[in-house]
Amino acid sequence: MIKYKLGIYCLAILLLIASSAFSQNVEELEYPKLNKLEIPDVEKVSLSNGLRIYILEDHSLPLFNARLRINCGSYLEPADKSGLADICGVVMRTGGTSKYTGDEIDEILEGVGGSVETSIGRTSGSASVNVLSEYSELGIEVLAEILRRPVFDEDKIELAQVEQRSAISRRNDDPFGIARREYRKIIYGEESVYARHAEYATINAISRDDLVDFHGQYLYPENIQIAVWGDFEKKDIINLIKKYFGDWKRGDTRVPPLPPVEYDFVNRIHYIEKEDVNQSNILMGHIGGLRSDDDYADRIVMNSVLGGSFGSRLFNNVRSKEGLAYAAYGVYTANVEYPGIFYNYVATKSETTGKAINEVIEEIERMQTDPPTEEEMEVAKGGYLNSFVFNFDSKAEVIQRLMTYDFYGLPHDLLQREKERVERVSPQDVVDAAKANLHPEQMHILIVGKGDNFDISPAELNYGPVDTIDISIPSGEATAAIDISPEKVIKGKALLAEAVEAVGGEDALNKVESIRMKGTFKLITPQGEIPVPYERLYELPDRYSLKFNMMGQNVYDIFNRDKGWNTGPTGQVVEKTEEDIKQAREEIDRELLYILKQANNPDYTPVYDGERVIEGAKVEYVAIADKDGERICRLGFGSKTHLPVSNSYWGETPMGEGNVTDTYESYDEINGVKIAVAGATMLDGNKIAELQVSEVEINPAIPENAFSKPE
Amino acid sequence: MKRFLLNWFILCLILMVSISAIAFDFSTVEESITEFTLDNGLKFIVLERHEAPVASFVTWANIGSADDPKGYTGLAHMFEHMAFKGTTTLGTKDIDEELELIAIEDSIFMELRAERNKGIEADSSRIAELEEAYERAREASYQLVVPNAFGNAVEREGGENLNAFTSFDQTAYFFSLPSNKVELWMALESERFLNPVLREMYKERDVVAEERRMRIESQPFGRLLEEFIGLAFKAHPYGVTGIGHMSDIQYYSRKEAEAYFEKYYSPANLTVAVVGDVNPKRVKKLAKEYWGRIPYRPAPERIATVEPEQLGERRVILEDPSQPIYLVGWHVPEITHPDRPALDALIDYLGQGRTSLLYKNLVKEKKIAVQIGAFAGYPGDKYPTLMSIYAIPSAGHSNQECETEIFAEVKKLKEELISTEEMEKIKARAKANFINGLVSNIGMGMQLCAYQQYWGDWRELFDELDRINAVTPEDIQRVAKKYLTKKNRTVAMMETIES
Repeated sequence: MIKYKLGIYCLAILLLIASSAFSQNVEELEYPKLNKLEIPDVEKVSLSNGLRIYILEDHSLPLFNARLRINCGSYLEPADKSGLADICGVVMRTGGTSKYTGDEIDEILEGVGGSVETSIGRTSGSASVNVLSEYSELGIEVLAEILRRPVFDEDKIELAQVEQRSAISRRNDDPFGIARREYRKIIYGEESVYARHAEYATINAISRDDLVDFHGQYLYPENIQIAVWGDFEKKDIINLIKKYFGDWKRGDTRVPPLPPVEYDFVNRIHYIEKEDVNQSNILMGHIGGLRSDDDYADRIVMNSVLGGSFGSRLFNNVRSKEGLAYAAYGVYTANVEYPGIFYNYVATKSETTGKAINEVIEEIERMQTDPPTEEEMEVAKGGYLNSFVFNFDSKAEVIQRLMTYDFYGLPHDLLQREKERVERVSPQDVVDAAKANLHPEQMHILIVGKGDNFDISPAELNYGPVDTIDISIPSGEATAAIDISPEKVIKGKALLAEAVEAVGGEDALNKVESIRMKGTFKLITPQGEIPVPYERLYELPDRYSLKFNMMGQNVYDIFNRDKGWNTGPTGQVVEKTEEDIKQAREEIDRELLYILKQANNPDYTPVYDGERVIEGAKVEYVAIADKDGERICRLGFGSKTHLPVSNSYWGETPMGEGNVTDTYESYDEINGVKIAVAGATMLDGNKIAELQVSEVEINPAIPENAFSKPE
Repeated sequence: MKRFLLNWFILCLILMVSISAIAFDFSTVEESITEFTLDNGLKFIVLERHEAPVASFVTWANIGSADDPKGYTGLAHMFEHMAFKGTTTLGTKDIDEELELIAIEDSIFMELRAERNKGIEADSSRIAELEEAYERAREASYQLVVPNAFGNAVEREGGENLNAFTSFDQTAYFFSLPSNKVELWMALESERFLNPVLREMYKERDVVAEERRMRIESQPFGRLLEEFIGLAFKAHPYGVTGIGHMSDIQYYSRKEAEAYFEKYYSPANLTVAVVGDVNPKRVKKLAKEYWGRIPYRPAPERIATVEPEQLGERRVILEDPSQPIYLVGWHVPEITHPDRPALDALIDYLGQGRTSLLYKNLVKEKKIAVQIGAFAGYPGDKYPTLMSIYAIPSAGHSNQECETEIFAEVKKLKEELISTEEMEKIKARAKANFINGLVSNIGMGMQLCAYQQYWGDWRELFDELDRINAVTPEDIQRVAKKYLTKKNRTVAMMETIES
């Protein structure tokens, strides 16, 4: 046995205690009466067009603030245009109005240190104004412009789409972000409006017309509530709002209600592999409830005891006692119109993943068996009741809450009513609420982490079936499914026929049996531009020979029906593998000249695929589907010239695999056929090469060994 | 109110005129502030605000992670966690017995640590034996703990926003209460800086280790930032992230945390701000009664290490499965240096908001970045620090493209004088920001403490606008030339590799 010494530390503490004769039990403190809480009186005014205004004067600081609730949301957008409402909310503000460009609005506001912002979320939209009170009118005028007369400038739509695509590309970088996003899909369903999110394909499918339509449908005065507070006189502000919003016409679309949620309780483990983390992000729970549920007040106390406060059971046991996590909390949430989620979150090192999960399950189970102790009830109820005054200490909070309650038709004294109910909650009520609402044996458990290092594998947890979620990001338009409806096929065929006509007509195209091109493509790399001279001979339909010179080295790529050769990484010519041959076939399948010649081939279906304005010119798109309805590529045609301007597909490039777009910038006419002689290649929206053709020959003499293995 | 004019720039000009014409009278705020210093050196700043019956309390220690001793990085932050573990009167079932058990736990821990640190000569069976003994001792002392009693005591009485933070320069503790409970705050808060008991220390280290995994190791930006400051500072402790190195976190003992408290948490090193519906006279009376109990100890010295002048550009590239991120920083002086107002104005013009040079170029026009911004004050503000720019490249665009444009904009600042119109806009924004900063009680409390710490006088807060207003376009050009040089910069990039 070891003999222990009393540490010097201990002595020091004892001395400290001795030195402070003063000692106070905080529970015995007596407090003076709390100064009266003046709940500020919000005035409500409705304009004749249905716009509802909430007003509160606050002369403490020279500020003017407004917050608006707009009754719309991304739940209203079509699933194949997910991201539409979000982009609409952004571009309303950035895309300018009939009076000011977006950039002018930026200058106006930032010139006075003010801000006006708009956004549209899942179930509601919002707008806000913050300016010094001397600029109240400026704020209101800009706000009215943005809400009423946005012009959705194409350039700013593109910016918003770039932002969306970038967010998609980054969405798997943050483990907690992954967990939150995927957990909503697990609870509400992958397609649910409460969980779904944008993808490259849905962002690419959004056009300016969609934004204009969305705005036109839902942005009208009866759908908007505006709360204003700050340093002003009520009547002045009402007059200003009337001046800028008074002549806004009522709308005529009824906003559809939120859809219901379907949910079945099951026990499941979901696992997402993330290689670059040493900590697991874990979410556990199931569907939650509604604010109007009878036991809502009981659940307020239940939440505080389980995992919503500093001294909650999850905090005490998972964090402080076991040291398993920094973040450990859990709440049963409720919304007004659709059920919330019951979730418990813990982030623990990979090696204690299983242990932490079991601890949390135990705590949830214990909620149903162990009534809260006296101390727990005091902290939970006392915390709620004693902090009640903080619901009213900020004008912004008071006025916005009233606006929300009004929207849902909730009584204005809802909080006071809930407070009265919380006062009456007993420990048994908490156990009853836990029994009625929590299903510890039927939860969805999501783990984002590095499975190799787990203490217990998901299967060995013996909780339920394990489902592995693939979070790889689906590519965009190049592989998106095509909607082959008869109208779209008719339109697609017409556009393709126009293009065939524009390049010289069917007869002239049919005379093209082979084509030889010489020129240079310039690779654009982070290290600089590399010019590459090349020569390519293509014999339709399925033989080609490409030769180029890369920094002094000759490189070959030859394809001859069912075989081929290319220069391998060591400089030696090697025979194409099966995979290479498949790739070469795909390349030919989307070769512009080849596709144009298949305009009447029933194996290839042209499908109209939307339109966009690019740099002031309208481009109409046609997706080409193969026999199985799978996308081969997507051609863009200039609406004036009818000539192909772009060709997008999923493919391999020297810079990697991805969404590739070839653009065609200029054409030369040879033997009555227009051939693209200048263009560029983009990979995921980033230009990686420019192409310049210097020589074109149609139906040239073809040497005998043109498509055989090079010497 | 003037009728709105059609032409936006005319409008702006007119507004500019009115900015200088109408001035908000800050003296009303300033006059609501009183201050006093206790005999032990502890400074109180009290701002009366009677709009609602609530009050916020901020305890501000002039000590941050930069003060962490070598080998004990993260100790300031560790202590911040421990300050929530209660006192001799709060959080225990029997303090005498508990302290005895804690002492036993400590002595085994020290023995265990010594054995582990023998490296190759460590005796593994001895380690196992000690580990077992340690675990028993820890469990024994835990039996006497009332968990999270401090937090419960605050929350039960309606405390809100109970939290704390540790930055490079300071450690701050704060919460709000209904304003009739000033005395509760006095009792609880003074007690934890008088008689803290660092109970559950070794489990809390595990919590902090999880915090490190969460904020740094599992977060791409956290990983990059740690490399960035590590490269920019080779001498000054601003180069080590506040949470500390993992091996240090897993090393330090309760004894060291306790010694740290003794040294750095002297009352003369603390400032307290009380903001809200309070009576300053009563605050003073209670402060004497409660906080006056803390014996005087001298305030610790400032850090003497000065970061030497950088002799050449520094670069680090992290190859990572995450998407690209770009960071560049230049060494600039501490916050009280006369060049800082000009640098702050430069930062605003270059990299804050939608009309900034960087946003207009990289985001709006070229669309090569989705986010970009400039800032100063990281890692800290007390000692010479950095002015930094971050960029989040758009999908398909590279760090290099962003860097080229960032450097082009920086070059413009050195070559061209900014217009007086732009200068006025910077000042207008500074004013609006300043006024918005006065809204929240807790925010106001923190600002007063920060100015007291950095400037030695909270009144300097109210001179901030005067300093910005004195900046001229020539000043901005001068500081751009002086600081934004190639040899003075450090670049950190996250480059994507396939996982």
